[in-house]
Amino acid sequence: MPYAIRNSHIQHLPTLVANQIAAGEVVERPASVVKELLENSLDAGATEVEIEIEKGGINLIRVRDNGCGIRVNELALALNRHTTSKIKCIEDLESLSSLGFRGEALASIAAVARLTLISHFHEANTGYTLQINDIQEMSEPVPIASPVGTCIEVHELFYNTPARRRFLRTPQTEFNHIQETVKKLALSCFNVGFSLKHNRKVLTSLPPATTESLQQQRIAKLCGQEFLEHTLDVHEDREALQLHGWISMPTYSRSQANMQYFFLNGRFIRDKLINHAVRQAYRDVLYRDRHACYVLYLTLDPKLVDVNVHPTKHEVRFAESEQVHHFIVATLQRHLATTMPKTEENTQPQSIVATEPEKITKNTESTLPSLTYHIQPKPTRSAVQETLQTYQTLAAPNSSKITVPQVSNAFESEKTENFTEKITVPQVSNAFESEKTENFTEAIMPPLGYALGQLLGIYILAENKKGLVLVDMHAAHERITYEQLKVVWQTKKNNDVQQLLVPETLSLNDQEIATAKQYETFFKRLGFKFDFSDKKHLLILEVPNVLQKTNIGTLVQDVLADLIYLGVSDRIEEQILTKLASIACHRSVRANHQLNLAEMNNLLRQMEHTERSNQCNHGRPTWIQLTQKELDALFMRGK
Amino acid sequence: MYFEITRKELTNPLKAVVSTIESKQTLPILANVLVEVENNTLRLTGTDAEVEINCTVPLEASIGSDNDGAITVPAKKFFDIVRALPDGAHIQFNQEDENRVVIKSGKSRFSLSCLPAEDYPSSPEINSTLSFNLMHRALKDLLAQTQYAMATNDVRYYLNGVCFDFLEDKLAVVATDGHRLALATEAFDLAGKETMQVIVPRKAIIELSRMLENSDDSLEISMDANHIKIVLSDRLTLASKLIDGSFPDYWGVLPVNPNRIVTTQTGELKQALTRTSILSNEKFKGIRFALSLNNMVITSRNPEQEEAEENLMVEYNGEEMEIGFNVTYLLDALSVMTTKEVTLHFIDTNSSLLITPKDLEDVKMVIMPMRL
Ligand SMILES: Nc1ncnc2c1ncn2[C@@H]1O[C@H](COP(=O)(O)OP(=O)(O)O)[C@@H](O)[C@H]1O
Ligand SMILES: [Mg+2]
Repeated sequence: MPYAIRNSHIQHLPTLVANQIAAGEVVERPASVVKELLENSLDAGATEVEIEIEKGGINLIRVRDNGCGIRVNELALALNRHTTSKIKCIEDLESLSSLGFRGEALASIAAVARLTLISHFHEANTGYTLQINDIQEMSEPVPIASPVGTCIEVHELFYNTPARRRFLRTPQTEFNHIQETVKKLALSCFNVGFSLKHNRKVLTSLPPATTESLQQQRIAKLCGQEFLEHTLDVHEDREALQLHGWISMPTYSRSQANMQYFFLNGRFIRDKLINHAVRQAYRDVLYRDRHACYVLYLTLDPKLVDVNVHPTKHEVRFAESEQVHHFIVATLQRHLATTMPKTEENTQPQSIVATEPEKITKNTESTLPSLTYHIQPKPTRSAVQETLQTYQTLAAPNSSKITVPQVSNAFESEKTENFTEKITVPQVSNAFESEKTENFTEAIMPPLGYALGQLLGIYILAENKKGLVLVDMHAAHERITYEQLKVVWQTKKNNDVQQLLVPETLSLNDQEIATAKQYETFFKRLGFKFDFSDKKHLLILEVPNVLQKTNIGTLVQDVLADLIYLGVSDRIEEQILTKLASIACHRSVRANHQLNLAEMNNLLRQMEHTERSNQCNHGRPTWIQLTQKELDALFMRGK
Repeated sequence: MYFEITRKELTNPLKAVVSTIESKQTLPILANVLVEVENNTLRLTGTDAEVEINCTVPLEASIGSDNDGAITVPAKKFFDIVRALPDGAHIQFNQEDENRVVIKSGKSRFSLSCLPAEDYPSSPEINSTLSFNLMHRALKDLLAQTQYAMATNDVRYYLNGVCFDFLEDKLAVVATDGHRLALATEAFDLAGKETMQVIVPRKAIIELSRMLENSDDSLEISMDANHIKIVLSDRLTLASKLIDGSFPDYWGVLPVNPNRIVTTQTGELKQALTRTSILSNEKFKGIRFALSLNNMVITSRNPEQEEAEENLMVEYNGEEMEIGFNVTYLLDALSVMTTKEVTLHFIDTNSSLLITPKDLEDVKMVIMPMRL
């Protein structure tokens, strides 16, 4: 220990230094100032917020709102640390509805910048202004003409903390961060209007979005029209939990995980448990290293979540993390299950010819540009149900014995867990034997229509109401087979266990052994049996039969790591599904396998009844539509 | 280097040697076969750096020692050329320069690239700690009864081979993939030498069992801690690295005092299982035994809910019980049983099954059940 430190005395830090240290956590860069100011405006009930930035926020950040304002006698107080109007005691945190609560943002900002505060309290006759350079030099409030609301100007950020200043990037980079911050808040508060200016130019202007179509417009402005057109609407209401928002169709994905917005009770959060849940939901519909896009809003009792984990409030802790995880996985999976062909009258089919798929993701795409867009119409729930009901009634007289799977069930919340012993492989195909083909009239043309023939030994050509349908035969069949195998596996999950003659021995640390013990039933449900008689080793006595010939030891160790780190793990299911997927691949028709029309039609009908059949097991599209309009355009007809 | 030989004399030795060589190689020389001439003898060597096979052929035409030499040529191409020549062909092999070997036969001429013999992996030196003789037929049988149970590419690398356990009074040969185990023993006199256990890798076992003959000829095995060498005849030798690891305690996994004993016709049981397996899950192959007095019912059911049932008259007077197995494991074990009747030794639904030839102690197959 250096001599100087050994001999120094313990003292209270001066307020300024204390605030500057606190600012280190809260105010990292201009965007963090913008975030804190905007949160205050939203907490004040503002419906319009204007943000003005100069030189990436290094010279000036001005946030003006039409919220409730601050009482003149509290202006100075607001700038102190640990002063807040939002909570009074720690219990208030349990039912927190505001974004702020730590009461340290303004104090932190004031410690590292020159600040001007103008506020007109809604019950007062006039506004007041006050300047502050460091905490020491605070001017007296003086009256000033201003509309009701608050305007805070932050000049010369980090003027007195050169270390921080040196870490700032170019104004443009800093502004990009600000834009991202505004985006997150604008996505979290649809009823508030936002406008964002940089160097006096209006860059974003978002009117309050009170109707669904205005909300969609905001999504399109912030996330791009392409995203909006390739999403599934998510809506799930349970007593304790609600999830809604937009998730991308599996065939629309990105190489980076950068269009992922998750809001918990209105607050943007980044959480590994949530990430994991989304990835698990997309597990067998997304191409290898691709990432889904989403804007999702989770609402739950504030009592069940701790937001006070970090000063930036981006991280949270859930009381019932497993339940939240399960709810998100189940909800998203249910919605993703609907990605199958369906007829729809009122959706504009998208054009392959006319869209520019590259537009949004140009910079990040290198490998798979064609996967960034999807050409199937956006489904709505009612449409599927109607269509299927039509089919069922239609198919009934001729094939009364055959059960058409109740696709409408896909929307009942318990479906995935509910598979019972009785369920057999769906025998959908038979419901539509080829002789019945002629019975279908124009009006009840199935979504994928009827086969015309085979192309290059790879594709099926079919005609439906909209025009030409092209199906990747192997990809489609692979998905159908895979889904059938999944049903079988899910119905008899806990059975089929191979006992080991020579147990696999894993040497583990105490925490891993304890975790294996704690999750013994979890492992058992999946077909594993352990022996704990040895303190340092875990003996694996039984393994699920499906996982024969896989590296069980590594798998169990990875699962334990997940459980320790996350509290959940889907690795075993994932391995099993991978196995099933490879079986499905081997069992599916290959290129150059000749199919006759009846077989092709049968495949089309099966696709219409197979969940997730819009994409193969690897997330590639199984079929595309070329509409008459697009075909006409190719031939320059009607121009 | 130069030599002459008939196609007939060259084909078989070359075939034996070439089979160890993997033709897809990152190290080009490992795709080659070593060809040496010395004292009017041709010597061919192939290796994959783990298993080496070596074969000598006396040369008829006297060629003189100035034609001695050693070189390596692409194994697969050399063998394919020799094989494709007409029956009675006479072959002349001539190294033209450092990079080229020319093979001539009648009106055909082939010029092959070659690499220097010095670069070829050298044969392992074995400081034999144990060596003994065995009959071809004995080793062939021991391997036939066990090698099917070896693991393939298991992370527990010591399972990817066959264990030779040299005990005081017998040689035990055993293989397991962790699900089932096969053990065969042969009376053997260690003659006071120290007991020794070695694991021979999968590839060497497969090569070896192809090379073994159904004869009473004697072969000589010698080994040290890292290598095993088997001299199959005065012309043919196989040498292999050993797997460094300890084999599971196989005596410990043999069921102790099984008390439910079934005796049945090997062929009949095998045929019934083969039929039942048709309707078991095509990938996971589960079948079920139900035992009752002098009766065994074998059933299977697949995901399509199709079912098979076989009734078999057996000798059984134990309690009734049911137990499930992977039918592939049962069939593998029964396929190498040589006796007309086999005995199945059960304990209970959760314990391993022991299969032995009726009234014989020297072959034991153990299979873990499956819970269906
Ligand atoms: N834009 C605003 N409109 C109304 N009141 C504000 C505004 N900004 C700050 N305040 C008041 O100042 C207090 C302190 O703000 P802050 O330091 O951000 O702490 P917190 O938001 O955690 O309460 C807030 O509690 C609020 O009463
Ligand atoms: Mg605040």
